[in-house]
Amino acid sequence: MATVLRSLTYRGIPVWRHVKVIQWAIQIVSGIAVVALVVWFFSNIGNAIQERDIPYGFGFLDREYQTPIGQHFLPYESSDTFLYAFVVAFTNTLIVSVVGVVLATGLGILIGVARMSSNWIVSKVSLAYIEFFRNVPLLVQLFFWFYIVLALPPVREGYVVADRLYVNNSGLTIPGVSASSLAAALAWLGLATIAVVAAVVTYRWLAGREIRTGAASYPLLVGCATAVVIGLIGWVAVGAVSGGAPFTPSIPEPEGAFGRISGGFTVAGGLVALLAGLVMYTAAFIAEIVRAGIQSVGRGQSEAARALGLSGMGVLRHVTFPQALRVIVPPLISQYLNLTKNSSLAGAIGYSDLTNIAKTMTQTAPAVSIFLLIMVIYLALSLTYSLIGNLYNRAIRF
Amino acid sequence: MSVAWRKVGFVVAALVALGLAGCGSGLSEEDVEERAEARAQEIASQMVEEQKMASGDGMMMAESGDRLRLVRERGKVICASRNDVPGYGYLDPSSGSNVGFDIDLCHALAAAVLGDPNAIEIRLITAAERGPTIQSGEVDMLVRTVTWTTSRDSQWGNYAQTMFYDGQGFMVRKDLGLSSALDLKGASVCVTQGTTTELNLQDFSNQNSLDIEALTFEDTDAVLAAYEGGQCDAFTNDRSQLAALGTALENRSDHVILPETISEEPLGPVVPHGDDQWFDIVKTVMGILIYSEAYSVTSDSVPTVKTGSTKVDRLFGLEGAFGQESLGLSQTVAQDVIRAVGNYGEIYDRNLGSGGINLPRENGRNALWANAPCTDCPKGGQIYAAPLR
Repeated sequence: MATVLRSLTYRGIPVWRHVKVIQWAIQIVSGIAVVALVVWFFSNIGNAIQERDIPYGFGFLDREYQTPIGQHFLPYESSDTFLYAFVVAFTNTLIVSVVGVVLATGLGILIGVARMSSNWIVSKVSLAYIEFFRNVPLLVQLFFWFYIVLALPPVREGYVVADRLYVNNSGLTIPGVSASSLAAALAWLGLATIAVVAAVVTYRWLAGREIRTGAASYPLLVGCATAVVIGLIGWVAVGAVSGGAPFTPSIPEPEGAFGRISGGFTVAGGLVALLAGLVMYTAAFIAEIVRAGIQSVGRGQSEAARALGLSGMGVLRHVTFPQALRVIVPPLISQYLNLTKNSSLAGAIGYSDLTNIAKTMTQTAPAVSIFLLIMVIYLALSLTYSLIGNLYNRAIRF
Repeated sequence: MSVAWRKVGFVVAALVALGLAGCGSGLSEEDVEERAEARAQEIASQMVEEQKMASGDGMMMAESGDRLRLVRERGKVICASRNDVPGYGYLDPSSGSNVGFDIDLCHALAAAVLGDPNAIEIRLITAAERGPTIQSGEVDMLVRTVTWTTSRDSQWGNYAQTMFYDGQGFMVRKDLGLSSALDLKGASVCVTQGTTTELNLQDFSNQNSLDIEALTFEDTDAVLAAYEGGQCDAFTNDRSQLAALGTALENRSDHVILPETISEEPLGPVVPHGDDQWFDIVKTVMGILIYSEAYSVTSDSVPTVKTGSTKVDRLFGLEGAFGQESLGLSQTVAQDVIRAVGNYGEIYDRNLGSGGINLPRENGRNALWANAPCTDCPKGGQIYAAPLR
């Protein structure tokens, strides 16, 4: 009798059925599995390195690199160290990435909007563009652009516009500026940054005042004037201290027996082909993302906006697009990351990006260390994009 | 952020749970947990064991004889090579098969260790992949126009034998009117990535203050296209490869190879570190090729009965031995090799000589040393191997 009673007494949930216990157990087990996997992975690498006597370590970073770098945006000599060569290489990739992202976004939005145009031809041309460029492998497209650029005349027979602009298959050269000294250049660039910040602050303050009080305050005019004045004062001041203007114009001209263009600012042929390939390819994906975003906004929104009398562009700019951004931004960031990582194909068409230079480095320095470094660099760059994108995404949430 | 992490944790946990539950549907949760813990312990104990094994110093190192056993079990020799340079390794347009000097060395090795010259697999790799490929030991031999240098010998693998002496040169358009590589001041030069050529180019430019701008491509095809399109003024490679690649140019007579040779490039097969027997086998096979040319034995005249010449009989396993047994090779290994691919001279002629890209050999460095007019005067070529005895 007593036994029966005891078994009928409610004793609460058994411990192994308790939801908290189960959750914790799963966490612990999966935690162990993950740690085990990571430990196994790294010990495997470590063992492989030791067994095969593969050299590794980072002492090489202070050594002289002693190898040429095709195109570089930062000054570079072959007597510079590996570490600095990495910086130069990273800058080359960063420029492709930033310029590519800006151009691909612009083109992508344009095509995405055109895709939804009521004009049949515009819409179908956009469709054809999207389907063509996102369905052909990027490497194939890069070679296509590489051969397009190669089809331009070589440097000695290239096009010259007004002795200032040079177009040939080695690149596009335009007049540029050259810094008289690094210190002066940096000083003036610092002042210029201050000028721009001051201009923005002035603009916002005056614009705010105009809205509050209704008094005409000319925010744009005064803002620009602020920037120009500070910039000019800085120019003169830096010039007076360093004895000469911080930047002097640099006019490109052919030099030497081979007529290679020196001076000015050159975008190398490989970079042109790489950017063209990356931008056209990524824009096709961005266009679809933009279309998805805009279509996610209810039709009622644009109809209401039209009823209020907004123009077609006005509807897009003030009503549809701001709401579409919530949907657009997260996948857009993925495309930025893709573009950045895809730029590592540059070596195939002769542009010296981070991967291309790093692969050359493996000839004179430990390959394992170098690949570890470039992995970290790409990861850092991608995470930075993600961070900026997520912050922006948070800012436009509503 | 923490929400996101929790989500990730949940997904991982869910996946693990799913995977475990998959072992037997209808298990109660405690069963699942028990199994999971048992599995985790199993993994942990396995790992401890593995670590013990790995830390026993050098236990995992390849040991002498391992490679030969592996190759025989596998039934084929894996060589890392190429298919893009006429003469060395390229696709024969008529048959579509990969042929060339380097490929023939791989055939010779397969004939020696397996008795079948066609029991090979060619892994196509880029120049920059050569080091990691041979370091990892995933291939049995690397024959891809690899220059022998001390740091490669110490880091990549063991260089068996120099089979071709090369040197770096430049090819330019005739209409530039250049007569010397020293005239390349300020020129843009196309070069393949990951090669000694790339490093030599820089040395040459630095030493002569030429300020050469290097355009680096991953593939030799792209280098050639960029050169032909005029993106660079010159292209540099080993002279033999300039000759080989030149055959692919639209109008070969518009281009010249400049006289300067700016480097020493001894080319030959490389084997992975750590297996002395395999290293010796490759050296011996290369020696067989060289000595049968020296003894004027071709693929058509391989002796199967004693010829009376002691040296020839020893080489072909008809009298005495030159170490076949200790290398694990058959007594008549040379017969297999020479019948399959011919002697060094035949391989050369077929691929690099008159039957291939037409690189002259007579009186050059790639003639046999044995062909010198007298045994002690170094007037012959430099192709030489350890005497087979």
